[in-house]
This record gives sequence, structure tokens and C-alpha cells, in this order.
Amino acid sequence: MSLLELRRVSKSHLHRSRRVEVLREVSLEIDVGELVAVWGLRRSGRSTLLAMAAGVDQPDAGEVLFDGVDLNGRGATALGDGVGYCRQGVGVPNGRTVTDNVRAGLLARGVQVPDAHLRAHRALERVGVEPCGELMLGDLDGAEAVRVAIACALVLGPRLLVIDEPTKGVDLLQRDEIVLLLRSLADDGIAILVSDGDGSGLSDADRSLSLAGGELRGKTSPQAGDLLPLQRARGRSTAA
Amino acid sequence: MGAGVKKERSFPMRSPVNWTVLGLVIERSSYGFELWKRYERLYGDVVPIGSESNIYAALNALKDKGLIEEVEGSRTIVVGASRQPKPHYRVTEEGVRAYEAWVIAQAREHSRRSLQFARQLGALAQQPHMALAILERYERACLDDKGARIPTTVEFPARVVPGLGDRLASAYGRNAIAATLGWIEYARREFAALAGGKDPHESA
Repeated sequence: MSLLELRRVSKSHLHRSRRVEVLREVSLEIDVGELVAVWGLRRSGRSTLLAMAAGVDQPDAGEVLFDGVDLNGRGATALGDGVGYCRQGVGVPNGRTVTDNVRAGLLARGVQVPDAHLRAHRALERVGVEPCGELMLGDLDGAEAVRVAIACALVLGPRLLVIDEPTKGVDLLQRDEIVLLLRSLADDGIAILVSDGDGSGLSDADRSLSLAGGELRGKTSPQAGDLLPLQRARGRSTAA
Repeated sequence: MGAGVKKERSFPMRSPVNWTVLGLVIERSSYGFELWKRYERLYGDVVPIGSESNIYAALNALKDKGLIEEVEGSRTIVVGASRQPKPHYRVTEEGVRAYEAWVIAQAREHSRRSLQFARQLGALAQQPHMALAILERYERACLDDKGARIPTTVEFPARVVPGLGDRLASAYGRNAIAATLGWIEYARREFAALAGGKDPHESA
């Protein structure tokens, strides 16, 4: 059984009074320690697919299983409980420092302030923006903002990280660093699903898929010969 | 300069191996064995060369055409030295100019081949299902392509800008994949419409 499994998931949206079928019976499996990238043109449904995978949106039909449990019944509660989700951008400036934002999820879960502060610091260090801890969100450049968004998810110790277009808005020369960070997190045992619109996210993925016309193409499940990430990840800690 | 050398220089050099070796010499003056090792690492998968002896053949061809020259004194036998002398080669001004022209020609050739492929696929307008099958295989090959991986683990000793060629190749591969996948989707819609008995542009 894979860590994340989408079974024949369908979803439609209302767009200008027309119902558009965004996903048509899409199936996808992601294993522990796998980095999977989904490429798609604008409006291809890649963000919708990721929202389903993270459990923040519900399919019209089909199932989304995380560790064998249907996310449909859990909604957004799965976030922070094994699933980390980064939507595009780090969020609007809220008058709080980066560290405050990263530790907010922990404090909301009842973690004591000193412990939350320490874990936030470690998460920022892990993603390479520890010096930005006292900056405001609005002070970050594109790459730093993505790293902080990842830290916000990472601090809760996810087993699955879903990231919508991590290289969007990031300077060309810094995109490689973001992709390599994701690769290293996957190598640490976290299953990672990313969407991609410019090809940057495909290079170091274990599997690259394309989404078009509501259909997902490519290797939608780990193949027998592609089990290295699973083996690599076994026995490693995933917590930040 | 003899008549034979003049005749040799007048022939256009077509071997991609020779041009590739010239690029390696431009990157850094060196000797045969080192050039072969560098060739294998950087180009072994895209322009296979086989044996090391082909490097020496390429060096001879480049030297005959005046594109490279032997570094003075590099062949000198040192009395008491245990190693054979290694003739080092460096690029000439003519070599750099010729390489620039060849790289530009290669870029044009690449563009020409892409157009050729697209038009050849267009010939299958009456066989849209066949074209769709080709596109599917092409897409799968693009998605499975690991040629664009970001270089991280290879060490680049003594290179002017460490790993630049690898990084450029990686970035090129990633951009090319995105562009190709976008083109495949466009072509798929065209052929899918034809397969459904529609003019793909009837609503345009």
C-alpha cells in the first residue's frame, strides 16, 4: 500500500456558468521518500489535483487515501497530521516575523512556546533560511518565501508534503536550489508531490507526470524497478 | 606548410567528435588521456566515442586543420623521468572562430530538425490515431528523461567555471521538456479533433 493513493478521482468546477471537468478518474500513488512532479499548462487542473491530494478539497467522485485512511472524511484536519500543504506563495504579510509564522502551527496544536520556537528555528535551518527568522514575510524574496512556506509545513513533521508550484516566482538561478531542497527532503523519507508549469520541478523527481484534458499521464504508481526511494527512506526520521 | 596540409584545411570538418574535442581543448588545454576522460564524462552519452584512440585521431585532424597546436616543450623527454611525455594541445585563434561558427550552425540544425519532425507528424493528418500513439510515446520519453537532472555530486577539479557545462545542459533540458510537453498537448488536441472527425480550427 502506498502512502498516498488517489483512486479514480474526478472533479469539476463551474467556470463562467459552464461546468468544466478538471479531473477525470485520475489515479495516482506516491510512496514514502518519493518525489513526484506533475507538469501541466495553466488551467490544466494541477492545483486542483494537489488540493485533493492534500485533503483540502474534496473530489466529486473517487477516493483519496493517506496511509490507507480516506481523507475525504477528514478534510483539512489531515493538515499537520501527517500531511503538509503549501499553496502558491507564502501568504500575505501579517505583521509577524517569519519565525512567528513557522511556529504558529505548533502553538495552535498546544506545543509550549520554547519548544515551538526551537522547532521553528530547526525547520528554518533545514530549509536554508535560518537567517530570515526575524524578517517579516513581506521582506522575503521569491526563493526565501518558498523555503519559509516549506518550513511552515515541515515544522509539523509531515510524512507527505504537497507543494503547489514551488519554483513559481523564484529567480531562474535559484530554482535549482529549491528543487535540490525538495530532493533532499524526499531523500530524508518524506513523500513529496509538486506541481510544475515551467519544467523546473521535473528534473530531479523520481517520477514526472503530465496533466492535460483531465487525464494524468506517465507512471502514476511506483514501478517494480523504481523502489529505490522507498528503500532509501526506510528507517529515517521525517520530523524537522 | 606543405601542400597536403593546405588540402586538409580546405575540407569542411563534419565529425561531431572532432568538434566536441575542439570544445574540450578550448575549455582547457590538455593532453589525450585527460581529454578522453573529460569527453566520456561530458559527452559519452550523447556522442559516444568508443575507444581512447578516437581522441588521438580527432586531435590529429584538428592539428592538421590548424585549429589546435601543440604546446611547445610538452613533448620534451625529461631525463630520469618515469613517465612518457604527454603532448599538450591548446586552441588557436582560428580554432576558436571555427568553433563559434560550428556551435551557431548546430543551433540552427537543431531548430531545423524540430521543424522537420513537426511537419512529418503533420503528414499523418489522415492517420490521427497513429499520430496520437506517436505523441504518447514521445511524451512518455520526455517524462522519463533524466538528462535534465541538476548536477550536484560530480566534482569539477581545475575547470575554469566548475560545472558550467553541466548546469547549462541541465537548465536547457528542463526548459526543453516544458516546451515539448506544451507542444505535445497542442498537437494532441489537433489530432484528437481530427480523430473525432472535426476540423480542429472550426471554432477558431
